[in-house]
Amino acid sequence: MEDFVSYLHFVVLPQFIDGLIIGVALALVALGLTMIFGLLDVINLAHGDIYMLGGYAAVAALGWGAGYWGALVFVPLLVGVVGWGLEELGIRPLLPRGDRAIVTLLLTFGVSLILRDLAQVVFGTETYAIATPLSGMAKLAGVAVPLYRLFVLICGAAAIVLTWWLVYRTRIGAVLRATAVDPAMVASFGVPIRIVYGATFFYGCALAGFAAVLLGPIYAVFPTMGHDFLLLAFAVVIVGGMGSIAGAVIAALLLSQVQGLASLWIPPVWAETLVYAVMMLVLIVRPRGLFARIGEA
Amino acid sequence: MLHAGAAEPVRLSDPAGFVASIALRRFVAVLLLVAVLFPWLGGGFYTRLAIEALLLAATALSVDVLLGYAGLLSLGQAAYFGLAAYITALCYLHVTQSFWLVAAIVVIAVALLSAALGAVAIRARGVYFALITFGAAEILSKIAHNTRALGGSDGLIGIPVPSLQVLPGLKIALSDNMVFYYVVLAVIVLVYFGIRRVLNTGFGSVLRAIRDNSDRVAYLGYNPFWYKLVAYVLAAEVAALGGLFYPLLRGFVAPNLFGFEISTQSVVMTLVGGVGTLIGPLLGGVIITFFESVIGSYTERHLMVLGVIFVVFVLFLPDGLVGLARRSSHRRSGTTS
Amino acid sequence: MRKLLDGTHLGAAVAFLAGLLASTHGEAADPVKVGVVTPLSGTYAQIGKQVRWGAELAVKEINAAGGVNGRSFELIFEDEEANPPVAVRKAEKLLLQDKVDLLTGTVNSGSTLAVGQVAERNDRILVTTVSYATSITGAQCNANVFRVNANAFQQSSALTAWLVKNIPGKRYFFVGPDYEMGRSTIAAFQDDIKRLGGTEVGATYPPLGAKDFSPYLGQVRAARPDVIMTATAGNDTVRLLTQLKEYGMLSGELTLAGAAGAVTQENIGAMSGAAEGFVSAAGYAVDVDTPRNKAFVEAFKKQYQTDPDLFGADTYGLFYLFKQAIEKAGTTDTAKLRAAMENVTWETPQGTKKIRKEDHQAVVDMLTVKVVGSSFKTVGRVPGEEAIGPNNCKKF
Repeated sequence: MEDFVSYLHFVVLPQFIDGLIIGVALALVALGLTMIFGLLDVINLAHGDIYMLGGYAAVAALGWGAGYWGALVFVPLLVGVVGWGLEELGIRPLLPRGDRAIVTLLLTFGVSLILRDLAQVVFGTETYAIATPLSGMAKLAGVAVPLYRLFVLICGAAAIVLTWWLVYRTRIGAVLRATAVDPAMVASFGVPIRIVYGATFFYGCALAGFAAVLLGPIYAVFPTMGHDFLLLAFAVVIVGGMGSIAGAVIAALLLSQVQGLASLWIPPVWAETLVYAVMMLVLIVRPRGLFARIGEA
Repeated sequence: MLHAGAAEPVRLSDPAGFVASIALRRFVAVLLLVAVLFPWLGGGFYTRLAIEALLLAATALSVDVLLGYAGLLSLGQAAYFGLAAYITALCYLHVTQSFWLVAAIVVIAVALLSAALGAVAIRARGVYFALITFGAAEILSKIAHNTRALGGSDGLIGIPVPSLQVLPGLKIALSDNMVFYYVVLAVIVLVYFGIRRVLNTGFGSVLRAIRDNSDRVAYLGYNPFWYKLVAYVLAAEVAALGGLFYPLLRGFVAPNLFGFEISTQSVVMTLVGGVGTLIGPLLGGVIITFFESVIGSYTERHLMVLGVIFVVFVLFLPDGLVGLARRSSHRRSGTTS
Repeated sequence: MRKLLDGTHLGAAVAFLAGLLASTHGEAADPVKVGVVTPLSGTYAQIGKQVRWGAELAVKEINAAGGVNGRSFELIFEDEEANPPVAVRKAEKLLLQDKVDLLTGTVNSGSTLAVGQVAERNDRILVTTVSYATSITGAQCNANVFRVNANAFQQSSALTAWLVKNIPGKRYFFVGPDYEMGRSTIAAFQDDIKRLGGTEVGATYPPLGAKDFSPYLGQVRAARPDVIMTATAGNDTVRLLTQLKEYGMLSGELTLAGAAGAVTQENIGAMSGAAEGFVSAAGYAVDVDTPRNKAFVEAFKKQYQTDPDLFGADTYGLFYLFKQAIEKAGTTDTAKLRAAMENVTWETPQGTKKIRKEDHQAVVDMLTVKVVGSSFKTVGRVPGEEAIGPNNCKKF
């Protein structure tokens, strides 16, 4: 019995806490994806590369002497602007089309290829490190956790709460939710829909940029970092319910735990496949995911 | 309304009429002529590249059958391309050297898998269908990647180049590039005309009606589900045909044959060629494959160039190249539509 | 409108003729064409860069000194994107279209095997200077494939010998990326450690490209090892080591060791000191004290502003083997070249290497290298014959 408790304490619990941290970061990336889909019916395949852009922007910002905290503020804004640009130039012209889900998917795929190569042209192929701003360990329930990771957990959670508050407790959020349900109606009230769309893209991409800065010191920055994250983020969005904020958060936490804890007992590569199998199961049994879209009951 | 399930399918106005039109027949005849003459103009490397282009174009054709005619976007046709390739590889390495036996196994296996997956995926609407097909291909890719018996991330090498026993006494050696090319060309041409025939019959009409308005067709007494399922299995077999020959050409298979890149490329090829035209995707497939190879020699940044092309076509040329040709031919002859 | 068309046609014709003239105005003797299919983009681009530099430097030197029997080397580069199917396609282009005489450059072991098959079917020789899967000159050997770098077996025997002798603690933990290369490298380490009397206290196989190694660190902590041996490479190593440091596991008596590709010139910058003391065994180290190596390193640094690593050095050395073999055979005919490359020795920056005839594997003196600050220092040496191991190639 002692052994079992010790196992829980020293093997399972640290795994759980690590999963929590990854889950929060994943949630930030998935939130952007799900908001964009929920509002615009657009599957943004370039989202992973926008996240990558955030990483490189952080490297550049540090290179110019901005410091980590400066980067934390500046990078999300920059990435948000890129997102806005993508929406204005690429997505908007395609919105009136009947087959918008398909063509925007293809467009964003093309954009992701461009971004990935662009990063290599500008920054080269090596990996860049971002120095950890906080060092030292803290004790959480008897488990040693690096102070910086705790910081990531807190920041990420704060960003999630901020997002929830913005969408559900402010007027802007109400406009957003209404537009998701019936844009024509909202437009007839004199609300500039194009700004709503642009702002959503801005915010979703800014969240991804924020996540990139947070994760930079842990994972380093390199050209394919977005691709890895994107597939996982998609699984999260699908399981959580496309267009659902609560869904993205809960599914992110859930799936990262599934992967993390499963890694204790089955080979880690199969743990990853397990996550995709869960995604397929949800798609088959309950395609709408766990939670309903923004605006729906 | 902005609901995922209501995403409208892509369509070319009256593709059946166009497909049967004289202009298209001329176009196809010209392409056929070029294709037949190609190895004489090309040379070893380009002939082999052309074979690969044709095999990948088959995946594009399979996308078009689903997208242009059944209104279903599949992001996972690579699943069948890869499955056929791996089965072929495994059979040649461990089971048999008889091409026809291998082909039979592939056809049956793909039919079973696509029927099962299709039955599940077709129930879902719009974007979710695409996601299920995507997920299935991803899972197959991961299984191939993680399993050492299937070669793991390095894949399987050592697949021999076989000879086809066509008639008793008539053996075709695929080791000759030109011979291989003509065999594949013949297969693709047969498949193209076959699919065109099938889609021009009553089956095709019902399918297109379902694509345009599924509910109304149901009221007429047809069950949309079965029609879509048949189309799905058909498309899977077309993609599998490409996968069947691929290991024989390259001598090896790797998990990327199930991958997202091949699936998305097949959709792009279809878009570039022209959705719903059948010949367009084939043309698009060949063009994209050649283009990538040529660009790859000049710059390492070929992904970016390809990305720009995608974006340009999506934004400005939604009817694809065939659609462009059609519009200009109408302009010249003074007709509309 | 017609005028413009005429102008365009005329211009095109002139350009075409000019191009034709230019291409026929070649050199007196044909150059020896070497196709280099190496990753210039993607995950292994850093390695491909060094391969490219090594090749270019060698060719520049050889051509300036008169070439090979009066012919110069010509390099044709193709990007394989660390992707075997792409490597195969590019290799075919080099063979069929550019008509290269020799092939090299493959990095990924899967690419080497697949391209080796293509080379065999087209009767040309492929030499790898990077891939270290033992199967390439072992179970899956091929009469047209040669290897001039040290393979996983050689690395392991040299490294484990040094570790067991120099590290008092005997508890070993293994971390390998979960794919063919990772698992077989770790298997080599495990066998050797067991043979030499060390104790394995655990092994874990995170997926290739794992973002986060912290889930696996729990096992490491529980095992309390004295040495952690890893077969990760590139970004994976960066993450593994920085995360070990993050969790405070790198202070104290823990020694880090691993495969030669784990910590190199290209990724050491991203580790912020986490790789301090990392030990590996390789066929090359920058501080090898021979006049030839000193000249090589200086020339390399002057040209490319950075030190060469083992990939650059081994590729550089390969071209001198090519030169020697072609001059000895008097031709680039494959059968004669093959004979001129078996059981021969030649001079490279790191010393004399020999190609073993039975499996085409180079016998290389292995150097144990330790990371000190941001450079690599040699701390031990195992002679080639000791490190090479038995011949496992039965196919030719």
